[in-house]
Amino acid sequence: MPQGSPRFVHGKILHNSGSGIFYRMEVAIPERIDFVPGQFAMVSGWPGNDPLLPRPLAIFRSGGVRGKGTVEFVYKVVGRGTALLSGLHAGDPLALTLPLGHGFEFPGEDRSWWLVGGGVGFSSVFPAAVALEGQRADFEIFLGARTRDQLPPGEWIPGGAVPGRVHLCTDDGTAGFFGTVAAALRDRIDRRKSTGPSRVAILACGPREMLKAVTELALPLDIRVQVSLESSMACGFGVCWGCVTAIRDGEKSGYRRVCREGPVFDAREVIW
Amino acid sequence: MTQPVTPDLSARVGSVLLKNPVMSASGTFGYGLEFTPFYDISRLGAVIVKGLSLLPTPGNAPGRIVETPAGMLNAIGLQNIGVERFVNEVAPRLDDAGATYVANIYGRTIEEYEAVARRLSEVPALAAIELNASCPNVKEGGLAFGSNPEGLSGLTRRVRAATGKPLWVKLSPNVSDIGAIARAAEEAGADAVTLINTIVGMAVDPRTRRPKLSNVTGGLSGPAIKPVALRMVWEACRAVKIPVIGIGGIQDAGDALEFLLVGAAAVQVGTANFRNPNACVEIVDGIRDFFVREKIFRLDDYRGTIRLRD
Ligand SMILES: Cc1cc2nc3c(=O)[nH]c(=O)nc-3n(C[C@H](O)[C@H](O)[C@H](O)COP(=O)(O)OP(=O)(O)OC[C@H]3O[C@@H](n4cnc5c(N)ncnc54)[C@H](O)[C@@H]3O)c2cc1C
Ligand SMILES: Cc1cc2nc3c(=O)[nH]c(=O)nc-3n(C[C@H](O)[C@H](O)[C@H](O)COP(=O)(O)O)c2cc1C
Ligand code: FES
Repeated sequence: MPQGSPRFVHGKILHNSGSGIFYRMEVAIPERIDFVPGQFAMVSGWPGNDPLLPRPLAIFRSGGVRGKGTVEFVYKVVGRGTALLSGLHAGDPLALTLPLGHGFEFPGEDRSWWLVGGGVGFSSVFPAAVALEGQRADFEIFLGARTRDQLPPGEWIPGGAVPGRVHLCTDDGTAGFFGTVAAALRDRIDRRKSTGPSRVAILACGPREMLKAVTELALPLDIRVQVSLESSMACGFGVCWGCVTAIRDGEKSGYRRVCREGPVFDAREVIW
Repeated sequence: MTQPVTPDLSARVGSVLLKNPVMSASGTFGYGLEFTPFYDISRLGAVIVKGLSLLPTPGNAPGRIVETPAGMLNAIGLQNIGVERFVNEVAPRLDDAGATYVANIYGRTIEEYEAVARRLSEVPALAAIELNASCPNVKEGGLAFGSNPEGLSGLTRRVRAATGKPLWVKLSPNVSDIGAIARAAEEAGADAVTLINTIVGMAVDPRTRRPKLSNVTGGLSGPAIKPVALRMVWEACRAVKIPVIGIGGIQDAGDALEFLLVGAAAVQVGTANFRNPNACVEIVDGIRDFFVREKIFRLDDYRGTIRLRD
């Protein structure tokens, strides 16, 4: 079930600026919205019909008091839509549909959480870390990027000041662990074996190959994994059926909407 | 001070009376209930539900949508829950929304079309059935029947006999003479024609050298197709006496008014719902505001009044 009823609102950009390769944008909206980490918004802010479709962005943070709200996004410029977004300024209008989709679940059992973000995938993993921090739950963050300058700034990382909590990984070894997040996770799993078992659950968001590698590593060890998938979307709220991914659901496998039944799925159900 | 007169926006499509001429287009509005968080869908002229087939249909593999300049290609492949589940699970909830509903149907064979139409005839909540004779995305999805007058006429006649509900026939733009196709539907007993469905298109990734859609081709919709749609609606209006429902690329009230001017009895709004979930109601309000400003009191005084020469 989708969590929370979506709204279509007209917002106004409060600030929108780049930090390294990432942009961070805060938007004033008419009312405060609550969201579950992993939920997203459909965003469009450019005049005219080209590009036509809004872009999905994970909700990074929300705030505000009665009668006024704010919502924040972190995004990377990859194509025309995000390039246009990056050119917008404080005061510019933005149309948003939010909150959308089914976010991460935090079952109450006693366990530690490993949060895995690849590339800009940290934008849906960090809100999960903030939520876990609020619950005083035990968590560690694994962040993967191709090179050092593609990692998020340290001050953005929730709980980053706690030693041993954040594991950085780069494909070229320019920062942290030399290799992929999946390799770093394997390392961590081996160390866990030597320190005795504890129940671990993984929440992951990033490129599909990364999510697949993490799933294939963790499931045989009985570690539960939730993955946040990406897909090209037209509507973002479940009516066009454009965003589907193949899911196995007991006997009934079939296509499920990433925007509605997802973007977060139990990794056991995903047909990669 | 005189009160502004609220214009009468009611529209008639054959025997179906609509409170205004704006409907949601099939496949872009789910079963309608998905929009109730955004607004009261009974404010629309009608809601056309997602295309229904006899059996549940899984749809095409992903790689289903691609954005194009001012438009999009889709190859959903008509994923739907099938007519039985629609009748048992969705239809009983439709009355709660208080909207006027029309079911959009398709089949792989004429017999399947007939069976779906027959089953839906028993659903009181449905004001009409819209026969999709034009889906470009499934091998037997109607285009085979809808792309020539003989095929369309045979299909329409058989479905006409299978249901007592008003029958609207949704035409394909992927034909050379839309007037002849519209006439074939009229002569075979259609109560109205709807046009246009999407235009067959394609997109390729230059780097991977692969088509961007798993189905290779898809249906183009959105503002990019509006000029083609408007021309075809205009031609169809001149070719038949039954009502013509105009659709294709409508984004705002101005676009909708163009279709009404060339003679459409009503319009449908599709892709615009994706960017702005409130698009349909904003178009209703925009038409009303335009009529107030222009002192037009009834939709019927405006419809079809295009001035071709001075
Ligand atoms: C639920 C969800 C949440 C997301 N959250 C964030 C976020 O918080 N921050 C962020 O930076 N990005 C996020 N994304 C990805 C973001 O939506 C895309 O990067 C964006 O739509 C690209 O738009 P564009 O116009 O810039 O690129 P386009 O011009 O549309 O495409 C340019 C290139 O990017 C690729 N691309 C297009 N869409 C996607 C996509 N969905 N994922 C990956 N590659 C894509 C294309 O294949 C193409 O190669 C999210 C996606 C989803 C589905
Ligand atoms: C994602 C999508 C799904 C569609 N599904 C159907 C359908 O099930 N039946 C149908 O008759 N038309 C379907 N259509 C076509 C639309 O109803 C409409 O004819 C077309 O999109 C043109 O209108 P527009 O430019 O306003 O979108 C679909 C269109 C889109 C974009
Ligand atoms: S994006 Fe439209 S159904 Fe998911």
